[in-house]
Amino acid sequence: MTVPLLLPELAAFALQTGFVDGLGQFLRPTNLVSVLVEGLAKSAIYVMIASGLTLIFGLMGVLNFAHGSLTMIGAYLAGVVMVVLVGSATGQWTRLAYFFGALVVVFAALSLLGGIMEVGLIRELYDRPPIYQILLTFGLTLVLEEVVRIVVQFYGLQPISEWQGALGTKPAFLATDQSLGPLSIRGLAVFEILLGVATVAAIWAFLTRTRYGLYIRAGSEDAEMAEALGIDVRRVFTVVFALGAGIAGVAGALLMWDPVWGASVPLAAETLLPAFVVVIIGGLGTFRGTVAGALVVGMADATTTWWFQNVVTWTWLPEMAVFLILVGMLVVKPQGLYGVEEVGGH
Amino acid sequence: MLVILALVAYPAVYHLLTNSPVANLAVAVLPRMDSMVAVLYFALFAMSFDFISGYTGYLSFGHAAFYGTGAYVVILIANGKVPLLPPGTPFVVSLLIAAVLAALLAVVIGLVSFRLTGVYFAMITLGFAQVMYVFVRGWDYVASNPRDGPAVGSTHAEGFGIGIPFVDQLNLAIGSFTGDTVTLLGHELGTYTVSFYMVGLVVLLSYFAMQRVIHSPFGRVMIAIRENEERAEAIGYDTFRYKLGAFVMSAFFGGVAGALFAGFRRSVTPENTFYFLVTGDALLASIIGGFGTLAGPLYGHLFDHGVREFLSNRGQGGGLLPYLQETLSEGLLTTQLPGGISVQGFIQAALNGHASLYVGIVFVLVVLYVPSGILGTVRSRLGGKLSETLPARVWGDR
Repeated sequence: MTVPLLLPELAAFALQTGFVDGLGQFLRPTNLVSVLVEGLAKSAIYVMIASGLTLIFGLMGVLNFAHGSLTMIGAYLAGVVMVVLVGSATGQWTRLAYFFGALVVVFAALSLLGGIMEVGLIRELYDRPPIYQILLTFGLTLVLEEVVRIVVQFYGLQPISEWQGALGTKPAFLATDQSLGPLSIRGLAVFEILLGVATVAAIWAFLTRTRYGLYIRAGSEDAEMAEALGIDVRRVFTVVFALGAGIAGVAGALLMWDPVWGASVPLAAETLLPAFVVVIIGGLGTFRGTVAGALVVGMADATTTWWFQNVVTWTWLPEMAVFLILVGMLVVKPQGLYGVEEVGGH
Repeated sequence: MLVILALVAYPAVYHLLTNSPVANLAVAVLPRMDSMVAVLYFALFAMSFDFISGYTGYLSFGHAAFYGTGAYVVILIANGKVPLLPPGTPFVVSLLIAAVLAALLAVVIGLVSFRLTGVYFAMITLGFAQVMYVFVRGWDYVASNPRDGPAVGSTHAEGFGIGIPFVDQLNLAIGSFTGDTVTLLGHELGTYTVSFYMVGLVVLLSYFAMQRVIHSPFGRVMIAIRENEERAEAIGYDTFRYKLGAFVMSAFFGGVAGALFAGFRRSVTPENTFYFLVTGDALLASIIGGFGTLAGPLYGHLFDHGVREFLSNRGQGGGLLPYLQETLSEGLLTTQLPGGISVQGFIQAALNGHASLYVGIVFVLVVLYVPSGILGTVRSRLGGKLSETLPARVWGDR
């Protein structure tokens, strides 16, 4: 039904000279570079949202539906820290320093919350079919979101719209565009890329350079064998879940500053879905895949966003592109870019 | 059977109780008539979700796509936006067309998705549903403002009738303003009551159809797939075809539910049709009511909706706060609790409009401790189906 109705629209669009013009404009070096930078910034955000999810799934086989809620809580928590500490007189670099302090606070708090969730609730379900973990964590999102909504409303904030007060604690050099020769680049985009790279590097080093990372990799490979070799896999599970929750919180803290996202209750669903897409495109449970998936999705998002801002008027283009990549990936290669061959074990 | 009788009697009981001495309490606790209509059609959607997810074990997380298809097709036909179908197409016909289209969509989605299992299946169906959600939200053909969704326009001003198509006398229209009223034995039945019975009729037929399938050899294979798919395959069943068949059927009834929703409400938004939280609500109903019991989702959704309405923020139609305001004294309501907040303020801040919290807590507890839900637990306690064991318990073994 939809196809014949769309065809004239598509044909008219192809005939428009706007497409050719748009392509020429798109290929101009300055535009290409700015799309590249935007794409990297988006990729950085996606990788931060998704890597906690992938760590948890890779080791434990639990698809954590509450991941988005943890991100949302992280955003609010970081917002609280910033709003309390920052006054109008606070200097630019002090604000940045406070932000890193907030990151530490958020990471610690969310790790604690994640640890409690794992020990108290999720541990009960390891011997049940994997669907029950989806169900449980889905129920947790309802509870967590509603609690946050109660608290936020109690303090007189609008839970659905972004928290402007927290957005305003950004240092000026992140809030404005920085010009670099002929280019004009958002300061925040650069900051996001740096933070994303740092996060990836930290997780990477943790997984490959530390003893605990070794345990995690061993547990992902074969939990029973790891247990037989004397590793307390139950404790590793708790630690990984706490870490994953902490990373989700850090991602939220970053989003708190980004005007496109901002701290709000719907942020939970807004981040959960792209995180799923990224993780599945990369291959559930592989960290390398998640980084690759985030790059693919980030670039596609930035490219289509540019097209919709400059050439076509379809507001749905970027979002649609992201989910079409997901469906296409699952049709062509269900295990994802770096996933292992046997799909459905979990 | 008992349940059907109870539901048939509900409008009368509601009418009686809300005009009785305990009216205040009744208004506060019982769901309103129009909500009961919503409970019925959404329960049908939850049943169709349970039909595939509870019986075959394949979590169809994109089930909202079928609900949305059903709802949008009905509205688009009524607005004359579907080629070859005039706006005056009888509702029953457009409902069937909508359901068939939802089923066809399920063939497409199913062919791709059933190559995967477990978490991956849930994710790919979710992916499909989100693609449709984004698409419908941006496609300005369906409505002038697609983000807010379409409403039935002037091309179909009369209500949607359920009954025998093309015979006016055998149709009763549904809807809050456009529905028919019926005078029966000297009592006038309002639009909500008529809608309740007519929607209920369709839901009942669908329920019996699904139950028939579950109790057929086909349904046995569905359960076998849930319990041990490899073994079912080894015995010689082509499980792929059974799964796809079950998926298509469940999509059909999901489409019927969506069509009923659109017929009753006459306007839909992408958020209450295609969005993944719609599937979430069906999931909630199924789990609380009893996963893998066809009637369970009805109780589950009744519970969910009852709590939501009881704790709703709106003043009209009952709920906790208006009830307390009427029955408790002013002094008690303004009493300061420790922490400097009045009783009323506390209720407003922590209870009203926050039903998700309490439903969510119940849901988590059910998942953890009562995995077979309300109906499943009652059945296993009584050692069989309610309709079979309850009479024997009450009257003894005869």
